[in-house]
Amino acid sequence: MLALKLIPQLLCWVGMVLVLLRGFSGRRPTVVAAACAGFLLGLAGALTLLRFLPGEFSFGLIRDLVGGGFLLAWGVSVAAIYRSTGRVVSATWGERLAQRAPFAGAGTLLAGMVAAAVCACRLPGAEGKPLTYLLLALAGAVLVFAALALERVLPASFKVSLPGLLLLVVALLLFGSSSIIRLDLFSPLTMKVMKFTHDFVHQFFESMLIPDHLFIRPYLWQYIGLLFGKEIGFWGGLVIWFIPALLVLFAIQFERLPQVSQIRQGAARRKVTAAAIRSRRFRLVAPVLAAAVLAGAVYQSRFPSVEYWDPKPVLITASPSGEIFIPKKGVVDLEDGQLHKYLFKQGGREARFFVLMTPSGKLTVDLDACAICKPDGYGQVEGMVLCYYCKTYIPLDTVGKPGGCNPVPIAFTEKEDGVHLDGLTLINTWSNTVQSSARVKEGGK
Amino acid sequence: MAVATIETSGLTRSYGEICALKPIDLVVPEGEWLSVMGHSGSGKSTLMNLVGGLDRPSAGALQVGGEDLLGLSEDGLARFRREFVGIIFQQHHLVPYLSAVENVMLAQYFHSVPDEAEAKTALERVGLGHRLRNRPGELSGGEQQRVCIARAIINSPKLLLGDEPTGNLDHKSTVMVLELLRELRAEERFTIVMVTHNQEVAAWGDRTIYLDDGVLVREERTGA
Repeated sequence: MLALKLIPQLLCWVGMVLVLLRGFSGRRPTVVAAACAGFLLGLAGALTLLRFLPGEFSFGLIRDLVGGGFLLAWGVSVAAIYRSTGRVVSATWGERLAQRAPFAGAGTLLAGMVAAAVCACRLPGAEGKPLTYLLLALAGAVLVFAALALERVLPASFKVSLPGLLLLVVALLLFGSSSIIRLDLFSPLTMKVMKFTHDFVHQFFESMLIPDHLFIRPYLWQYIGLLFGKEIGFWGGLVIWFIPALLVLFAIQFERLPQVSQIRQGAARRKVTAAAIRSRRFRLVAPVLAAAVLAGAVYQSRFPSVEYWDPKPVLITASPSGEIFIPKKGVVDLEDGQLHKYLFKQGGREARFFVLMTPSGKLTVDLDACAICKPDGYGQVEGMVLCYYCKTYIPLDTVGKPGGCNPVPIAFTEKEDGVHLDGLTLINTWSNTVQSSARVKEGGK
Repeated sequence: MAVATIETSGLTRSYGEICALKPIDLVVPEGEWLSVMGHSGSGKSTLMNLVGGLDRPSAGALQVGGEDLLGLSEDGLARFRREFVGIIFQQHHLVPYLSAVENVMLAQYFHSVPDEAEAKTALERVGLGHRLRNRPGELSGGEQQRVCIARAIINSPKLLLGDEPTGNLDHKSTVMVLELLRELRAEERFTIVMVTHNQEVAAWGDRTIYLDDGVLVREERTGA
């Protein structure tokens, strides 16, 4: 079962080694040695991190490494498109550096380390079981040699440019991490785009000295509110996600053909041109594959194959004094670390909230909605809660803290017997923060 | 001493029981115009197909332009034909719905990349500068054969094969085509192997070999 779970990550690893071998052609021994060493080091590093440091920090670090690779791919793709507009076809210092064995070794080592760390994050209870790590290391090394055998079968004309190589490696890393919720980068990216748009609109009004919510008529919000939709975040995220692949594609496609005017014979001249066009066509394969892999990562991120803990809200009432009481050990155990949802109705108004004990042992009571998105609520999965609207994952430790896409916290009192909170405060908080923002987001309806 | 373009040793081609070409030893120096004569079924076209990489011998050794054709794979043979050989057939085998220049560009396309300017120049060299956009159906037999010559030489072959290239032409057109081949050979320095039934046409070559029932029976110097 565990091996099945690791199939996408291990396939990505094979793909990475394959493309590294072809990208650094003529450096097979270096790449193979660095790939094996990198995978081993990455597993050892991940084991150490996950065992001795807090989970969130470890996962965050590995996610940042993958994100760093994505930023690097962005930079290299911009450089590639810039270079394609130049008049000189000679190699840049970066390309000359890439031809050297230490660069190939270091690049492969780093890629192997990150790939292994991503694989390690896929292991359940990743912080333990050294035997599992040992088997994984063995599988990683065997797959390096499988990739080596596969690479020999690939047509010799299939060449990979440096930007294409980096892009495909990063795309495979992103694909591998997209099925691990705590490493996924696409959902946070869409959330950031959505939040940026939201903040930008409000900042814009502020800069114009217009208090937007007070003075702008609801029908205007019908149009402005479109900018706050999750579609904006999704499409904006897609643009950022795919731009490096497109830039590298265009950079290769627009590459200048070699000068042939000095060749006297027409057939020889055409042969040189044809060889350059053929080589260019083969080099396009890497960014095209990268785009396909990135699309797969988006799909995995949007439709993760995990089951959310999403209990049906329990209808709850307040005492005559308006206090809501939820016992710690009632029908449900509030301290079981799972999210428990409740629905409170009063005077034709209602509010949805949940109670959760965080991993640090603190109880928290929050609205089942955030201040930014539509109130679609939250689900719980693998030590995170997920905002159903924007698909943002929030670590359990930060639940109970206000801001961003975090659930809006509600003031409550924790006593021996259970949790006490004021019904009117709950209803008002729901109305003020959630319903008003939802109206705006639904276009004032 | 001139480098041999074609060198065969015991070259044989059999089709089952029938031996179309019995062991032949032949050396054709670079730049020579070799005429191959013989009756129908004497093995002329078989020899030409073997030399052009269109067919594989049953036995013997065959080197063309330094390449051992027996050792080449199908892809290698295709590359050899693409880069080394130009062929002119009796039936012109022009694509009827393409213009003259497009027919020439088609050969460029399969060789490398099309270049219209170069294709036009080739047609101008064979005296068809005014017929660039005409389709084969709108050209006379001699003109069509000249398009074939332009198509055959466009990729600068080292070896030009002609299988009865003037067989369908009247005397005037025949002379025009042969003169053109002579001029082009002088400019491009390619080797010509031309199969013909016609003694007069064979006499345009430097040397003529005679085949009979797959056997090389005699050869004579014919060049002026």
